[in-house]
Amino acid sequence: MNFPWQHRNKQEELAQELQGHLQMAVSERIERGESVTEAAQSARREFGNVDLVQQVTRDQWGWLWLEELLQDLRYGARMLRKNPGFALVAVLTLALGIGANTAIFSLVNGILLRPLPYYQPDRLVQVTGFYPKGAFAAMRSQIQSMDVAAYVEGYEFNLTAKGAPVRLTVTLVSADLFSVLGAPAETGRTFRAGEDLATQNNYVVLSHHLWQQRFASDASVIGQWINLEGVPRQIVGVMAAEFRFPSPQTDVWIPLNIDSRNTVSYWAGDFMPVIGRLRPTATLAQASAEIRVFQSQVFSLFPWPMPATWNAGVAAVSLRDGLVSDLRTRLLILLVAVALVLLIACANVANLSLARGAVRGREIAVRVSLGAARGRVVRQLITESIVMAAIGGAFGLLLAGVGLSLVKSMLPADTPRLAEVTLDWRVLLFAAALAILTGILSGTAPAIHASRPELTESLKAGSRGTTHSASQGLRRALVIGELGLAVLLVCGAGLLIHSLWALSHVDPGFRSESVLTARVTPNESFCDDAGRCFAFYRGLVRQVRSLPSVTNSALISTLPLGGRVQKRSVNFEDYLADSAAPEPLLWMNAVSPGYFQLMGIPLLRGREFAEADTSGNSRVAILSAETARRFFPNQDAVGKHVQLARQKDWCTIIGVAADVRGYDLRRSVPQWMDGTVYLPYGPGASLEDGHIPAEMTLIVRSAGSQIQLEESLRRLASSLSDDTPIAEVRPMPVVLSAAVSAPRAVTSLFSAFATIALILGIVGIYGVISFFVGQRTREIGVRMALGAQPRDVLKLVVREGLSLALIGVAVGLTAAFALTRFLGTLLYGVSARDPLNFAGVAMLFAIVALAACYIPARRAMRVDPIVALRYE
Amino acid sequence: MAPRYQNRIELLQGTLDLLILQTLQWGPQHGYSISQAIRANSGEILQVDTGSLYPALHRLERQKWIAADWKLSENKQRVRVYRLTATGKKQLLSERSRWEQLSDAIAGVLSPAKRGQA
Repeated sequence: MNFPWQHRNKQEELAQELQGHLQMAVSERIERGESVTEAAQSARREFGNVDLVQQVTRDQWGWLWLEELLQDLRYGARMLRKNPGFALVAVLTLALGIGANTAIFSLVNGILLRPLPYYQPDRLVQVTGFYPKGAFAAMRSQIQSMDVAAYVEGYEFNLTAKGAPVRLTVTLVSADLFSVLGAPAETGRTFRAGEDLATQNNYVVLSHHLWQQRFASDASVIGQWINLEGVPRQIVGVMAAEFRFPSPQTDVWIPLNIDSRNTVSYWAGDFMPVIGRLRPTATLAQASAEIRVFQSQVFSLFPWPMPATWNAGVAAVSLRDGLVSDLRTRLLILLVAVALVLLIACANVANLSLARGAVRGREIAVRVSLGAARGRVVRQLITESIVMAAIGGAFGLLLAGVGLSLVKSMLPADTPRLAEVTLDWRVLLFAAALAILTGILSGTAPAIHASRPELTESLKAGSRGTTHSASQGLRRALVIGELGLAVLLVCGAGLLIHSLWALSHVDPGFRSESVLTARVTPNESFCDDAGRCFAFYRGLVRQVRSLPSVTNSALISTLPLGGRVQKRSVNFEDYLADSAAPEPLLWMNAVSPGYFQLMGIPLLRGREFAEADTSGNSRVAILSAETARRFFPNQDAVGKHVQLARQKDWCTIIGVAADVRGYDLRRSVPQWMDGTVYLPYGPGASLEDGHIPAEMTLIVRSAGSQIQLEESLRRLASSLSDDTPIAEVRPMPVVLSAAVSAPRAVTSLFSAFATIALILGIVGIYGVISFFVGQRTREIGVRMALGAQPRDVLKLVVREGLSLALIGVAVGLTAAFALTRFLGTLLYGVSARDPLNFAGVAMLFAIVALAACYIPARRAMRVDPIVALRYE
Repeated sequence: MAPRYQNRIELLQGTLDLLILQTLQWGPQHGYSISQAIRANSGEILQVDTGSLYPALHRLERQKWIAADWKLSENKQRVRVYRLTATGKKQLLSERSRWEQLSDAIAGVLSPAKRGQA
């Protein structure tokens, strides 16, 4: 293929070649005896027009396509300018479709597709299981196929350097985390091997943002000591701003404290996610196999039996997939939905073009009869629709920019990799490809149709253009398809809205209205002296209760739906441990007396904790209803006993509380836990590592304003103790609504797409019916002249519209029946084939179709027979 | 010149390609000599218009049936010389057989008696 920028050279060569021809002809004539002037003249005469020869030869070179393309583009732009109404509707439709697709693709690109921002990201893997320090240490020394690292996120430590204490988000990491990720420090160094072992781990690495905000970007901080949660640590390095593992929230990285002598912390502390980097020749499959072997052997290392289900089915997956796990389904569902919207938009524009093609039939017929090749006409028409789609794409990109920031603000802040989502070159490429594809999709059928006019008919038919029945058939098919897709989307949206409604109206098991929560976050060492800790909290609750406008106040260690859980393995009296659950793992909640009453959680059996229970003299516990049912089936749990693992005292069960949706709105505890136990906040409420929880959430029932109350709480806390900051203050209803933020985001987006689909569907059916009426004006005139009533005309139009709509609905419902089950995991409290939903959608579309027929039908009824008959 | 002009026959479409390929079979030539050869070999009846010749040459070149190089002629003139390529040779064979079929067919139609005898 030759390009225009090469053709200047070629053109000169051609001129030379022709000149050579001419000269040879002249010299031959001279040799034959002609005079010089005579020879030049006759040779030139025989040669003909040099310029013309040059031009027709040039046409063979093949850059013609580009010139023709430019011509088509110019012509297309002119046609659009001449039909601003059509152009506007079509461009807007396409902009909407392309914009929505581009926005969602940006999410998919940033979260699912883009390589992780680390060195050789395709060599990074995630081990799907969770391991305590001891198991991790064993894994680190045994696994050959990869270098592994573990981390725990979500800790919060108080930084006391200079000035007021600050709450930092901390990620505890094994020393090799940075080298596994291939991320060196920006200043200073990261951790060295061995620096995650007990007594050798007093180091800290700062995040770039913390270094900027707290340490004024001062490079001399390296080597300085800071006090974190009461422990002095030396700053060894600062990471680059782009390093955000595992999430942008992390302020500092601190080495794990791996201590094999502390059996409890070593084998029962945090169960940590593990990542790895494949060694040079290893494959993911090898790593997976090796991990499975390791998993089968690790049980014997534990000092106590572990449930057989622990880390069952463990594997090594690519880190990118591991990080986004359940988000993938949601994003893909949104991507499919938005792709359907684009298909509908294409069908709509194709429809508009077909209608216009019928009008343009005459122009095209003239061009074909003047000798334009059919292929050329088709190409011209497709180019026109690509021009349209390109303009639509440009607007779509603007829409996508706005839409994306909207979508990002809707998604929960803890969505993995959300910060990495931007409109990058891949997205631009995607939008461009989409625009061209859209142009071809929406342009091909109309173009082929328009290029096949019946010449004599078109030329005869005057200015009205022609209807070919084939085109009408195609338009109907398009509208039916469009409606079908819209029905499918609206069905899906209906189910999601139903689920969201059900989720947000789920009874969480407690009363959230006029309850304020405040997390009190002293250093962990604050409760080393347990007596001081209890005295502080008891004093705090007492003083809060005495505040005006406060009716009640209590404490809980992990707030329901607060995003944190506390695990505790226990033994139940008379419960025969099986190998699947040797020590049932419960969610342990330490609460103060009055908690159940304040939260409105009914006690189904027995009584709530009393002040005397907090002394620790007599150990007592309360179980949730489902826990009592599971471990004491068909018995009364009250009076039975439960023992915290690795403690010698048995607690008497004094009550059974109603279930609370504490983990999320669907479940009271995560899948890997067996139930819930409440303990009075006192000496008996020891965590797995033997400590008393230092961090508690204060809950307050009050009629007063949040701001005033918040101020009073902070004042009270600081008056009681210097190092007990209050971290988050949130009204309980806010906590509750945050629990549905992820489904709400998906549902809102999906519903927005369904709404666009519905509107485009209406526009489509309106267009076809209007066209139908326009084409039949004469027939309607004749009918009315022969005595038909407006009612009959109305019937004619409505029958046409309704039949289209009903076929569309039937197609859509069939598709929905087959496809809505893919929404499966996103649905709650509604079946994927909910008949009420399907019926409602069918009704909606029937009504909407009737409404869309109304305006054209009215126009048809007003047809004046005389005018209509004279019209032709 | 004038009387001879009337004797000229309008070339059938595609025939010029065949003539060019056939002419080049005897060795590389430039545009002018190709036109002279066709004229001479047809007994002065076929005179190739430059307006047809050069587009045809460039088209054949694009189809890679012929290739072109700049060379110096005997009188030190830069000329563009065309030669037949391997695919061009194949093309020539197939076009020749097509042409023979066509001319047989036309001959058959024009004198059916002959055909009956054969």
